[in-house]
Amino acid sequence: MENQLYELTVYVNDKAVRGKVRAEKTLLDFLREHNFTEVKKGCDNGDCGACTVIMDGLAALSCSTTALQAEGRRVYTVKSLGSWEKLHPLQEAFVKHEAVQCGFCSPGFLMTAKALLDNNPMPSRNEIRDAISGNLCRCTGYVKIVDAIEDAASAIEEVSREA
Amino acid sequence: MKKEFQFLGKDFPRKEGRARANGFEKYPSDLYFDNMLYGRILRSPYPHARIKSIDFSEAEKLGAVCVSYEDAPGKRFNLRLVSVPKATYKDWQLFSDHMRQVGDFFGAVAAETEELAEQAARVVKVEWEILPAYMSMDAALAAKDNLIHDKVFLEDQEIKIKNNIACTREVVEGDIEAGFQEADVIVETEFETPRQYHCQLEPRSCVVRPEADGGITVWPTTQAVHNTRILIGSVFNLPLNKVNVVRITGGGHFGSGIHTNPVTLITTALALKSKRPVKIVQSREEDMYDHVRYPSKYVLKVGARKDGTLVAGHMRAYIDIGCHHIQALAYLGVMSGFWHSLYRMENMKYEGTAVYTNKVPTCAMQGYGAPQVTFGVEGTMDMLAEKLEIDPIQLRIKNYVGLGEVFWGQGPTVKSPIFSDGVVELLKKGAESIGYYKRPGSQKQTGRYRRGIGFARGFHTSGTGAPVPGEVKDYTTVQVKVNEDGTIDILTALMDHGGGTLDAAAKIVAEEFQVPFDKVGISPADTRSTGYDVCTHATRGVYCGAGAAHEVAKKTKDVLLEYAARYLDAYPDSLIFSYDEKSGQTRISVWGNPEKTTTIAAVAEHAMNKDWGTAIYSKSIRKVACPPAYTNYFVEVEVDTETGHVKILRVVAGSDAGTVINPILAKGQLHGGFYRGAGMALLENTSYDDKTGCLTNKGSMIDYKMLGIDEMPDPDDFEVIFADTYEPTGPMGAKGIGEAAFNPAPAAVTSAICDAIGIRFTKLPILPEDIMDALGEGHDK
Repeated sequence: MENQLYELTVYVNDKAVRGKVRAEKTLLDFLREHNFTEVKKGCDNGDCGACTVIMDGLAALSCSTTALQAEGRRVYTVKSLGSWEKLHPLQEAFVKHEAVQCGFCSPGFLMTAKALLDNNPMPSRNEIRDAISGNLCRCTGYVKIVDAIEDAASAIEEVSREA
Repeated sequence: MKKEFQFLGKDFPRKEGRARANGFEKYPSDLYFDNMLYGRILRSPYPHARIKSIDFSEAEKLGAVCVSYEDAPGKRFNLRLVSVPKATYKDWQLFSDHMRQVGDFFGAVAAETEELAEQAARVVKVEWEILPAYMSMDAALAAKDNLIHDKVFLEDQEIKIKNNIACTREVVEGDIEAGFQEADVIVETEFETPRQYHCQLEPRSCVVRPEADGGITVWPTTQAVHNTRILIGSVFNLPLNKVNVVRITGGGHFGSGIHTNPVTLITTALALKSKRPVKIVQSREEDMYDHVRYPSKYVLKVGARKDGTLVAGHMRAYIDIGCHHIQALAYLGVMSGFWHSLYRMENMKYEGTAVYTNKVPTCAMQGYGAPQVTFGVEGTMDMLAEKLEIDPIQLRIKNYVGLGEVFWGQGPTVKSPIFSDGVVELLKKGAESIGYYKRPGSQKQTGRYRRGIGFARGFHTSGTGAPVPGEVKDYTTVQVKVNEDGTIDILTALMDHGGGTLDAAAKIVAEEFQVPFDKVGISPADTRSTGYDVCTHATRGVYCGAGAAHEVAKKTKDVLLEYAARYLDAYPDSLIFSYDEKSGQTRISVWGNPEKTTTIAAVAEHAMNKDWGTAIYSKSIRKVACPPAYTNYFVEVEVDTETGHVKILRVVAGSDAGTVINPILAKGQLHGGFYRGAGMALLENTSYDDKTGCLTNKGSMIDYKMLGIDEMPDPDDFEVIFADTYEPTGPMGAKGIGEAAFNPAPAAVTSAICDAIGIRFTKLPILPEDIMDALGEGHDK
């Protein structure tokens, strides 16, 4: 194991987070060690998608990204979406449709869905299924998750039309 | 018949939903305490070995705290404390020098950082004596020496193990020889079901913090906080009031937390030795070596008369339980029970043998023994129907155990009568909705893609309560309190795993008091502040757990009624509760005297100011029945005869859960139950490299293989039908749903494949290559 430490700054949810890491430190461990525990570790292997964050506008698996790869970049976790009082429409839809059961996979699904809607505001059902096919959920059988993302897309569209 | 309710039967977003969607929910792996150490578990690379010596000196040089079998308490125990002691085999120790599977634990280290702990674990030196490994039941049963366990304890009685047989169980009713003589048709088949892995998203983890009073606080991934407390107390000789186990949300369980996971005991050992908080988060690979569903291999012989009456049945089962008992005796019991309670059979014999192998220890997973047994029993019913030329649905209706009969799904010591039954309604509606009688069948189809419609039915018990005590513990303690502003708090150790168990309790209490759902809260709970709850398993959450909350709420209401009667100068029996939607207040009024009216809040506040007291009550409640929650699935599949790939096109689920508390959550149980059940049918298994004893998936979730979103039908093609039933012994007519949602799914998918291609599979999972082989050979597999 290389013992050299590298200084870095990552902009997490629009705040500068500084640290010193070994080269092999994953972005997932870096975030969790800095109390962003909403980013979940389900496998550490790129298999489950629970650790998904948005980096520079795209969904990224933080377990398969080194912290150094995120140096100087903008990273968003599920806590960037809404506030305690006001949830993001995606979060509202996940709650309303009961797409959240144990909830461990939800932060990852929400960030994958957010990246999808940012790039494709009115996706078809097949596009939704494609986009979230890298995220695993063991509780819901995926039915409600698809419903929720579809509903959220319509809700966001409606708000933007009114505005 | 359904009753009219104010809140039940309507959709309310669950209370925990917001915290889980906005990332604020904390799971055990998320906790951090000052001065905390990180632990790593030391594991065997060999499937069967003995440790001659351990050298921790290099690890200690790195500052690691180390524990091993050398400073272990040595006591034998069972990780699962659901059965009573006389039915509990004990073969576990906290650290042993005898390694019984790859990944078996012999010690642990803790250090200041994750990296340092990892480094310390790597420099521990071990001298091994490698023993012959038994990677199959045949090999294990043939063994005379170097057994996986030489001796175990049944309660406190020492038992010598022979041929690696962990335990056996025989259950007999009637006389099968006489029964089979009456049979016109006999079907005898060998069935086999896989070692399915729970694959809950959060690997089993734990945090333990020593406290100033000499006690410890424990945050485990568990379904059973009280049993965890009792086990820790017993293993470490700690008084139970010094072991506080906290109920914390887990990232999925599916049965993997009914027993106390070894990681909980190991973290405790490190915390006690270091006198510092310790956290261990297992890797996915470690988790895969930690727990797995009981596989089952059995020969099922069933005889029937020409008219379709079943007359006799014989099941001989061999269960590869892996290297430890997690109450395998109970598993053998429920196999007999689930079988016996699906269809009426006067003469039956069950013979079960649990065999140790050098594999991952097996434990409960959603459905326990029911999916395994239902797979063979429903397959057999289809075969009998074919031989007898009777419609498969009619054959079920003729023989199923239903209304007015006694059943014992959870084994022969848990017998209880059936008071509600929606089976016929659900079978008829399901068949009609999917077009069961319009299916083309395998004979009429040619071409690459063939479609088939199949079905299966099953049930799960709502808990394990029964009129008399048996081998299983089953009760829940609840406290219900009315606050001085009219809101209500429920305090109980009952757990929710994501299905909405605690929400159901809150909703039922809201209904009882006629207060809005958002005025009923679930208090944080730990073992110091709550009475015993056996755990959330066996589909007991709503019926037993929320049922207990309902019984206690009625007692609390009695206290409130006394206060209200004094306040209004009336008699308690003349008071009625009503919810006024406009004001959002719940009124208490005297009948016939409309001017005599007040609110819950006013009474509670007045009672406090007058020093009458708080409207509060606490009690342990045992349910004295465990009604069957019936389920059936009708499934349409398409089989690609060139690749063997099976696509699930459509699902019609039928669920008899009694009063449905929260329809959207109940539907979610069926979606998820079907998904995992179809996975068991089509994909999921854990296999081993016989030479190394390692899992062939190498700890990867992708290589374990589960159905993904692409293999699930579109939301529009998944229909759910609820039966119009009311369970008179249940809380406001409700019974369970959770495991019932899984149980018939593997059998239903198998039946649909048979309808499509004319081949009946008797071994799960049915992989594409199995389908291609069977199509090539043109016969059943």
